[in-house]
Amino acid sequence: MLLTYDRLGTLKYLLWAIVIGVCIFLLVPIAFIIALSFGSSKWLAFPPPAWTLRWYEALAADPRWLAAALTSLKIGVLVTISSVLLGLLASLAIIRGRFPGRDFLQGLFLMPMVLPVVVFAVATYLLFLRVGLGGTLVGFVVAHTVLAFPFAFITISNSLRGFDKSIEDAAVLCGAPPLIAFLRITLPSIRLGLFSAALFSFLISWDEVVVAIFMASPELQTLPVLIWAALRQELSPTIAAASSLLVLVTLVLMILIAALRRRFVE
Amino acid sequence: MTTMSVRPGSRQGPAFAFVAPALLLLVIFFLLPVAALLLRSVTEPELGLQNYRELFATSTYTRVFLNTFLVAGITTLVTLLIGYPVAWLLAVLPQRTAMLIFGIILLSMWTNLLARTYAWMVLLQRTGVINKTLMQWGLISEPLPLVNNLTGIIIGMVYIMLPFIILPLHASMRAIDPAILQAAALCGAGRWQSFIRVLLPLSASGATAGALMVFVMSLGYFVTPALLGGASNMMLAGMIAQLIQSLLDWGLGGAAALVLLAVTLALYGLQIRLVGNAFTEGR
Repeated sequence: MLLTYDRLGTLKYLLWAIVIGVCIFLLVPIAFIIALSFGSSKWLAFPPPAWTLRWYEALAADPRWLAAALTSLKIGVLVTISSVLLGLLASLAIIRGRFPGRDFLQGLFLMPMVLPVVVFAVATYLLFLRVGLGGTLVGFVVAHTVLAFPFAFITISNSLRGFDKSIEDAAVLCGAPPLIAFLRITLPSIRLGLFSAALFSFLISWDEVVVAIFMASPELQTLPVLIWAALRQELSPTIAAASSLLVLVTLVLMILIAALRRRFVE
Repeated sequence: MTTMSVRPGSRQGPAFAFVAPALLLLVIFFLLPVAALLLRSVTEPELGLQNYRELFATSTYTRVFLNTFLVAGITTLVTLLIGYPVAWLLAVLPQRTAMLIFGIILLSMWTNLLARTYAWMVLLQRTGVINKTLMQWGLISEPLPLVNNLTGIIIGMVYIMLPFIILPLHASMRAIDPAILQAAALCGAGRWQSFIRVLLPLSASGATAGALMVFVMSLGYFVTPALLGGASNMMLAGMIAQLIQSLLDWGLGGAAALVLLAVTLALYGLQIRLVGNAFTEGR
């Protein structure tokens, strides 16, 4: 009764009221920033007295924003590559290998997901101060890879587990060299997992704030660092424009994931 | 000689070579720095437990601990109360409608954290839309203090944590066979009784998993409390950041980090014991 939609009776209306309330609660802030970014009021009056594109123009005119976006993109792409590669190798070993300490390794691989980011951030900050990696591209990529790796590992492991290895073995028995069998049979079969892992890894790096604010130097700032610094000064509409662009990036990536899933799962 | 290569033990070699890069990365750039930070808590400024003594004896710091648990507790309670009905309806809705609501939840979850927090900073400020609307409707005569205080933190935290409780709750409700509830009804149980004695106990594992996850994540949260809270609402994560970066008190910062880490790991251990490890059970 309570788990059959048509038989919920009046309870149905109560549940719907709460769900609609929650959906509004979840959507309002996002819709609100997008509206503000086109509003003409410098003091963020709402509804805006007029509509304008000047905050986007201000964004485009300020070289710091463009530089930060490029830095974020560069770091994100490098993190994606390294996290997917490491995730694939580690998944192969953990899922297919038989060696002692597998459970321990698996636990270790998930640790960065469990540890509060701030602890990792300050620990990395102190280490990088000492070895001179603070404020460098390499430092960013390494630290973000640590954070993204568990997600890549989980996603790829799960799809590898769902793949029947005997198909790859059959190819080898038919005379394919093991590497070719792997590249042409196994990799295409787990591509959905690989793409999801790549998108997750990218988004984790692209949106990462805490490690970034400890790591950033005046010469090397990611987009979240710039937004963080701007937020602490004043709530200018330029941040609304930058935030709206970030929402757009998320939306595009989400649609991409949904489309890929639909195509692969069919 | 040829038999050597087919010995079962020979698979250990390549398997280990495959985990080596990830293992190296995590040992050098994760385990070592975290261990070094924690070690500082007993070696700086001198060997001993003085940092922990200071941490637990100074009222400024103990207030931060209390505050952290208060915020995490309220956030968990509110998300559980709001998230439960949402997960429930999602579990019974037709697929297509449910997917739409899931889309909204995932969009908010994956939208940049700073963008979302910025939106709340603007919405909740003294001259923000919420205060203006309430004043226009004559409900209040003075703007309500909604930001830079506990209210602001809770609103922001609930906003961020809601998806993390809805998803596990939904999974546990989907796993319940609706026939069990029909059976309860056939046996004469009313709505209230079916809810209290059947649905609630059967969804308890999802609720526990979600609540523990939200509680643990909230304990160590940094960004939202820093931006939506006031100076008197500092939480543990903010305190660690300040001790290390601004006050350069690495020993005390390390001690605070160890406390946060210990509580986090203990609660995760509890979670695995109570509801199992979602990842390893997927096999």
